[in-house]
Amino acid sequence: MLRGFYTAASGMLTMQRQQEALANNIANANTPGYKADQASIRAFPEMLMYQMGSENIPTKQSKNLPVQNPIGSMNTGVYVQEYVPNYVQGSLRETGVTTDLALIDGVFPDETGSIFFTVQNENGEARYTRNGNFTVDGQGNLVTTQGYYVLDQAGNPIQTDGMEFTVTPEGQLQIGAQNIQLGIAYAANANELEKEGNGLFNGEAGPVPAGVTYNVQQGYLEQSNVDATQSMTQMMESYRLFEMNQRVLKAYDESLGKAVSEIGRIG
Amino acid sequence: MSRAMIQAAVTMNQLQQKMDLIGNNLANSQTTGYKTKQANFASLLFQQINNMTDPANAEGRLTPDGVRVGSGAKLGSVNIDLSLGAIKETGRTLDVALLEANHLFQVAVTENNVTETRYTRDGSFYLSPLANNQVMLTTKNGDPVLGVNGQIVFEDGFDEITVAENGQISVRRGNNTEVVGQLDVVEAVRPRLLEATGNNNFRLPDLEALGYNQGEIIQDVEASLRSGALENSNVDMAEQLTDLINVQRSYQFNARTISMGDQMMGLVNQLRS
Repeated sequence: MLRGFYTAASGMLTMQRQQEALANNIANANTPGYKADQASIRAFPEMLMYQMGSENIPTKQSKNLPVQNPIGSMNTGVYVQEYVPNYVQGSLRETGVTTDLALIDGVFPDETGSIFFTVQNENGEARYTRNGNFTVDGQGNLVTTQGYYVLDQAGNPIQTDGMEFTVTPEGQLQIGAQNIQLGIAYAANANELEKEGNGLFNGEAGPVPAGVTYNVQQGYLEQSNVDATQSMTQMMESYRLFEMNQRVLKAYDESLGKAVSEIGRIG
Repeated sequence: MSRAMIQAAVTMNQLQQKMDLIGNNLANSQTTGYKTKQANFASLLFQQINNMTDPANAEGRLTPDGVRVGSGAKLGSVNIDLSLGAIKETGRTLDVALLEANHLFQVAVTENNVTETRYTRDGSFYLSPLANNQVMLTTKNGDPVLGVNGQIVFEDGFDEITVAENGQISVRRGNNTEVVGQLDVVEAVRPRLLEATGNNNFRLPDLEALGYNQGEIIQDVEASLRSGALENSNVDMAEQLTDLINVQRSYQFNARTISMGDQMMGLVNQLRS
């Protein structure tokens, strides 16, 4: 069978996968705290091709010697290896709502470091999020829009008692005479975190170490860092690549068609 | 393939909801005492897809194994912007504006023969004639406004009516000035727990289910108001229209995603032709 058949098909599948990532980015262009996914595309493992042959040695008893001549390396396809979230700070938008909080990155010691709010998911486990679009539930707890508890530094839900509160740039909630430190977590390698949906990240993150600076802004939201223009351009590009791969596939199909119907035809 | 199209379709539906919200805010941009409603998006679930599981393929990866494909975005819960609206002078004595945020007038609303106390920031009051040449202070829907001693009813045929800063209503007949009522203003300590009922009114939620008593949501407070003025809605037209344009463009972007997905499926269909 023609090897390139599957190479072209893998190209089409890859472009679809990339399209899925781009479509999701565009869908989340208005989601606060959303981090754009970037599809990284990788070739299949490289193979070294040899020309197999034999050489006749002109001796008394003629002998055939097998020979191998390297032709070169080739790959037989391509795939989307991973989606890497882009943790670059999104722009801030003023909402004026006191329960909206935005995290502003400061200086991190690690190149891939990032900071997050800590929230509690439905199973009682800690998860991390950049979406500071919080609200206060019927019991007076600070929650995300999905109803997940926003946690304080000690890992407990934050009881606002339904009262208005102010948040200092250090992330301290001042409710009446009470001060509660927001549970802000630092992930040294944010790439290790997995997106779980609802804006949550799952993985290794701990208390903020020394040398990490950040700011919490009340009444602001961090916008999604999706660049719609760039995403649309990439989408068009990946669409055309899909089309090209389809053309290649068709070309292979035509060659095969010729092999089937024209080779050995009499008359 | 349809995944990209479904992501876009789901998001378009939610964008439409956001447009509904903006539409409602714009429609109420002239409603006395209206508070802007806001909602923001949140991403939907991510699906883990384990492709190319061979360890050799894990070389040079930055992220954990597999790829995680999202499924679009949804609109989160609606938040109310409780900030004070601009005060507009009307010159009409019975227009009363509350000068503090979260302060509310009390109104007795009768619906289906059940009378309930509701709360409003709309201070455009009227006098409604009763029998025996008496008048009653009502809202523009005709619901009685509650004073400290219940409904505010007094004799008609006065020369002048005034509402003092502390909510005291007095009428002048010739040279006689007489206090006829005192507006009962309350403060919502937990304003986010109030339920909007339409007609500019709010009511208390189901207190038993929440485990609160009335005093923990609504408290009596010293009135601070201004007669001859009304509180405008706090809808910022420029912001709403900017949001509207933004949402509309997002809608277009997502529609584009669908048509692109459609074309890609078309290409697949053309493979054998």
